[in-house]
Order: sequence, then C-alpha cells, then structure tokens
Amino acid sequence: MIVLDKDGEKLNLMPLNVGPSHPATHGCLRFLAALDGETIVASVEEIGYLHRGFEKMVERGTWQQVIPYTDRLNYCSAIMNNIAFCRAVEEMYGIEIPERTKVLRVIVNELSRINDHFVCVAAASQDLGGTTAFMYCFNPREMIMCIWEKLTGARLTNSFSRIGGLYRDSYDGFEKDVLEALDATEVALKDWHACMDRNRIFLDRTVGVGKISQEKAISYGWTGPCLRATGVASDLRKDEPYYDYETYDWEVVTGTEGDVNDRLQVRMAEIEESVKIVRQALKRLSPGPVDIVDPRIRIPSHKLAYQDMEALIGRFKGVYEGIRVPEGEHYCGSEVANGELGFTIVSSGSGHPWRIKVRPPCFTQFAAFHDLVEGTQLADSMATLSSLNIIAGELDR
Amino acid sequence: MNTEEKTGNFITTSLDFIVNWGRTNSLWPFPYGTACCAIEFMSTEVGRYDLSRIGSEYVRFTARQSDVLLVAGTITYKQAPILKRIYEQMAEPRWVIAMGACASSGGFYDCYCTVPGIDHIIPVDVYIGGCPSRPEAFFDAMFDLQNKIKDESYMKQRAERVKEQLEMIKAKTAEATANAKELAHEKVVDFRDYMAEKERKLAKKVQVWKE
Amino acid sequence: MESMESLFPVLESKFGVNRDARDKWGLTVVVSADNLHGLVEFLKNDSATQFDMLVDIAGIDYLGYRSALSEREHEGPRFAVKYNFKSMKNPGHRMSVKVLVSEDSLSVPTISDLFEIANWQEREVWDQYGIVFKGHPDLRRLLNHVEFVGHPLRKDYPQQKRQWLSTNDFLLPALEARLETLGYRVIERSKEVEPNPDEFLEGSIKE
Repeated sequence: MIVLDKDGEKLNLMPLNVGPSHPATHGCLRFLAALDGETIVASVEEIGYLHRGFEKMVERGTWQQVIPYTDRLNYCSAIMNNIAFCRAVEEMYGIEIPERTKVLRVIVNELSRINDHFVCVAAASQDLGGTTAFMYCFNPREMIMCIWEKLTGARLTNSFSRIGGLYRDSYDGFEKDVLEALDATEVALKDWHACMDRNRIFLDRTVGVGKISQEKAISYGWTGPCLRATGVASDLRKDEPYYDYETYDWEVVTGTEGDVNDRLQVRMAEIEESVKIVRQALKRLSPGPVDIVDPRIRIPSHKLAYQDMEALIGRFKGVYEGIRVPEGEHYCGSEVANGELGFTIVSSGSGHPWRIKVRPPCFTQFAAFHDLVEGTQLADSMATLSSLNIIAGELDR
Repeated sequence: MNTEEKTGNFITTSLDFIVNWGRTNSLWPFPYGTACCAIEFMSTEVGRYDLSRIGSEYVRFTARQSDVLLVAGTITYKQAPILKRIYEQMAEPRWVIAMGACASSGGFYDCYCTVPGIDHIIPVDVYIGGCPSRPEAFFDAMFDLQNKIKDESYMKQRAERVKEQLEMIKAKTAEATANAKELAHEKVVDFRDYMAEKERKLAKKVQVWKE
Repeated sequence: MESMESLFPVLESKFGVNRDARDKWGLTVVVSADNLHGLVEFLKNDSATQFDMLVDIAGIDYLGYRSALSEREHEGPRFAVKYNFKSMKNPGHRMSVKVLVSEDSLSVPTISDLFEIANWQEREVWDQYGIVFKGHPDLRRLLNHVEFVGHPLRKDYPQQKRQWLSTNDFLLPALEARLETLGYRVIERSKEVEPNPDEFLEGSIKE
C-alpha cells in the first residue's frame, strides 16, 4: 500500500502477516505489520485463536469443577492458577486455611514460578538462537516436573489445590526432592548467566529493544515482571500480602529501562528470590492438617467417610451438589508468574458459579504490543514478543 | 583392493523396504502447537526424553518441509481455516497426529467455540489421549506411526495412483464419446428438420404453381 | 477500606453513587451511565484517590438470577458492567465501579480515552455481551471470529451452538486505521483489500 507520511513524503509499505502459526508466536497470536524496508511502521494484533470458552464452561459445573479449567489458563504454572482461584473463593467464604496448607501453598507457588520463568526465558533464548540456554533452563524444570508427578500425579495440569485445603498432603521425602531441585535451579541459573550475560549477540538483540515507559505501562494495566522491569516496585505479595509472604526474607526485583533484556533479567532474578523463599518455607513446614474441618466446604476424607455417618453424608453432598459459596460479588487478585491474575466472582449462593471473569495478566501486555514494536525492526518484534511471555491459554481463555 | 570396493558398494533390497526405511527414520514434525500439549512437546524435545532418538528432532515450522503435522492443543473455529490451509500446503506423503484430548475430540471444552476433534477438518492417522499427553505417550504414538508407515507400499500406492489415472482417462473418454454422440445426434436431428422444412416449402411451391 | 469510608460521601455528593449491596466488602459503587466518565476521570486524577490502573472490565448478565437463600428474583436492569481499579501510588487500595445497563439502551460511555487498556477490554465486553460502548474508536469483535452471530456469554445463548468460520479474519482495514491514527494517509490501498471472492474462499471449510 502507498501512504503519505506526516511530511507528505510517499512511502511504499508492505503489509506482512505474522502468525498465528509461526515459530516465534508461541501459541497462536497474530499480528499484521506494515513494513517500510525492515522497519515496522504500524502493527495491529489479533487474538482469540485459542478462545475456548472458559467463562461459559464454568457456569455449567460446580465450584470445585472450576479448578481443572483454571489449570489450563496458564499451563506453564498450573498450580498457581488453582491457588489463585481457591484463594478468591476462600475470601468469599471468609475462612482461614490451616498453617501447613499456607506454607505448602507458598512452596508449590514459588516452584511453579520458577517453572514458568524458566519456560519464558528458555523460549526467548531459543528465539534468539541460543539452543544451549534452552536446554539449560529445561533441566531443573524436568526435576520440578518429577516432584509434581509424585505430589499430584500429573506433570503439567495438576489441579492440586482445593477450596479450603489441598488435594493431598506432601509425600515422604518431599523436602529432599525440593532441595535437590533448588540446587539444580541454581546450577542452571549460573549456566544461563554464563551463557548470556556477556554474550554480544544476545545483548545487541535485547538491550534497548521493545522499551516502554512507566506511565504507558501503568495505563496499559501491566503487572508482574514486565511492569517491574520498568522500575515500578509493585508486587501483590508485598502490597497486599497473603499466605504470610511479608514475613519471608525476600526482595522485589526491579529493572531500570523496561526493555527486553530487563524483562528477562528480572525473571531470572525472581527465580533467585523464589529459591530463597522456598528454602525458608521448607524450614517452617510443621506437621498438621491440610484441610479445614467443615464438610460444607471441604469434603471429608475417605478414612473418615468409612467410620462416620455425618462424614459420609458430607461426602455425598459435596460431590453431588457441590459446595455453596455465599451470595455476593468479589474481585480477588493474586500474584502469579506473569502478573496479577484476578477473578471477578459472582455467586448467587447456589452450587454453580453465576459468573467468573478472569483477569489474565498477558491480556494487558499483549494489548500494548503495537506500541513496543512500532519503529523497531521486524526481527526485534520476535525478541519483544518472547520477553512478554504471552500464554495463549490465559490470553484468550 | 579394487574388488573389495566393488563388492562392498551395493546392496539388494526391495524398493518398498528402502523407501519406508527412509521415511520412518526421518519424520520431521510440524508442531502446530496451540495450548498445553505444546509445552509437553517442548519437554519431549529436550534432554530428558530426547526426540532425536527417532530422528525427529528436526522441527520444521513450514508446511513444505515437514512430514508429520502434529496438532497439539485445542482447535477453535477461528483457527480451523488456518489448520486446513496448512494441511493442504503439506507435500505428500503426509501424516497427522492429534496430540491430546482437545485435538482428538475437543476434550472437556464442549463449547460454542471449540471444534470437537480435528477429524472434522482433516484426516488423522494417530490419536494420543491425555490432557496433556505425557512424553512417553507421544513416543508411543510416533512408534505407532512408524509401524504404519512400514506397512505402506510405495509400489502399491503407485499402482493405485496409476489405476486411478487410468480410470479417470476412461471416464473422460466415455464422457467425450457421449458428448460427441449427442452432438452428432443433434446434427442429424437438425438436418432432418431442415429437410422436412424444405420439403414442406417445396410442396407449397408446387401447390402454388398448380393453382 | 478506611479510605473508602472517607471517599464514599464525596462520590455520593458529586456523582450520586450508591453502594452495591451485593459486594459485602463495600468496595463497589453503582453509578449511572451518564456520570461514569466523570467519576472515572475524578478517581484517576484526583490526588486523594489516585486509582490510576484499570485492572479489569467485567460484563455480567443477570437474566434468570435467583438468590438461593432468600429465593428472590433479580430486580432492575438485565446487564451490568463492572470496572475494577487499583492504585499504584498507594499500593493496596482497590475499588470497583458498577454500571447497570438495561436491555433497551445497551450502551455505556467509553473510557478508552482515559486508560489505554480499556480499548481491548471494552471490545471484549461488546463481543461477549453485546453492550455498546459509545465513543469507542474501534468496536470490533475480539475473541470470537468475524462471522459469529450473537453474543455467547449471554445466559440465553445456548452453550453448544457452534458457528463455523468459512475463511480467515481480515486485518488490513484495521491496519489502515492504525496508520491513519499514526498520522499517515493511505492514498493507494493494497490489492488484497477487495479480494477476489473465489480466491478469498479458497481455504473455506464450509463445504
């Protein structure tokens, strides 16, 4: 297409379609860029290629049946989504979960965060041509996957959390496995930094690319590592603490420039902080129950159901009718790997959710994509895209 | 020395065997990864599981260079035309693996926007269960596919192709003959009408003259 | 929550807001559609409140809503749009604004001039509920495809009513609009803008 620019100069632009099936558009994103040579003049994005109807599906089932669907929102760190949803419902109930559950949730949360950040950084390295770094990042990830298999029975979509507790208590030797995985994580971090930190190609392709200012990022509603890379120290674990996050010794990592390199480095530094938190949490892990004792919220255990009539009734009711969340409307946001994952929940007091609206963190980040890439080269848009960590499952729901 | 080289430099085998052997051990996948299964596919690729053991590590992201279309993840109606287009772009011989419950049947997304299984759009060779399927399951599917390819016969396929072409030629010839016949018939009819008209005119003239 | 106690009288006198009885935490106010833009502008810019991040916009459909405890039916307009704000300058402060939308009017003023992200979030609500945002620069479908008829998240849309798409979505007009907003002027359009119908439908899966 031929256009006139602001000075009245004639430009011959080429529209180029990227995606939805493209190696660098992880999942299925699509953007159409108007190119002047190799420079992107304008770009528009299109999403919805993985719109699976989360919000329609959950209205059909019971409250506990929502949990498997939340797994598939951000499938790189499924447990965090479970916990975020369960926390939102528990806030509607106004219940307090047992101490051991809190600590266990913190541990699995932070391990998931490590997992998620590793996938993002691995994919970004891969897109920039660093296959070795990709392999380094996946090694500790596989170890954490083994822990998930032992703990939850699944590798990726775990459904570990329940409203008012957990699916089960940890197994024998859990602490040892976690410590081993943490050691492997630290090795991988060292390897990655050795590969990338002073790598000329990597720095040339990431420093100063895909910049965004603080004001713009806030106006776009950015949260999580991408916002922190611009220098805003905003983290829900510190701002609105839950699960005693404020009592652990860790720091909010911030960047300075808000470019691709900052976003990746912030993620890597956050892994270090997560390792710190998990080490402290393992020390706090003391024996105790993991479920609250209330058959109306958390169904009684099998063992109890065989001995006690009330527990048997509670189990039947809990499975067939589901729990009844008190009537009301509530918004609750939790800090997941990508930013703030929020659930707007409307309950009519029955066994089925009336409406659950997800606030996905990627959505806001991808909405700003055209602002990041306009004026840069086409190849830089790939580096920008992978540093945002767009997960199609939660982008389109 | 010379004789040794000569004896060592040829083997005898059937054409089918050698073609299938080549095809089986270098299946280049096109990962059409949309959702969770794509992450498991990434795990399959890297160190612990190592997809290169069966010669498939060379992941191609263009339809023209790949043999296996690996649909990993939910396909929505918005995406269906794209998947179909990519399948059509792939060169023969091509195989399709539906990885995971969503690609095989829609999974537990029974909703206004998800396609209930990609076999509504394109033919599928191997289905893998699981939500998402484990890397081991993926390997199993690849072995199944390899066995399937080993059973295929290049010569038979070629014979079938030739047969199809022959049948097509026959059908076309028959059609052409029928057309020609019809045309000839029409011409005859035309000529007959013309003659009848002429005769009638002549008869009229004769009558006029008589009068 | 304390800030809400001091804030509420100001909002009540200025914009005539009410508290939402459904929110037991008292963080939600209900405002009429006419006052929405002024209220959001006040919340964003006023030094006392500073709710400078729009977290989420959620549409709600109350068709057939029935309280399980009191067995009361829902009264009032059928739809609602809920805006969630949070403050970056005073971390930990949150607030929600709710607008009730009747089935006859189905329109809410846009706030996409105040928050950049509102553009996409409003498009999503329009796509899912059919609520029109007056003054929105580019109200297209976001999640569903172009040939989709109806609004799927309404309670009267059947869950399994599927709609096939015959071809790929077409983005060039949107790209031209984006170029215009950047100050460029399109003088010769791409040939693909008006495609040959045969060629356009080549990848069709309708047959």
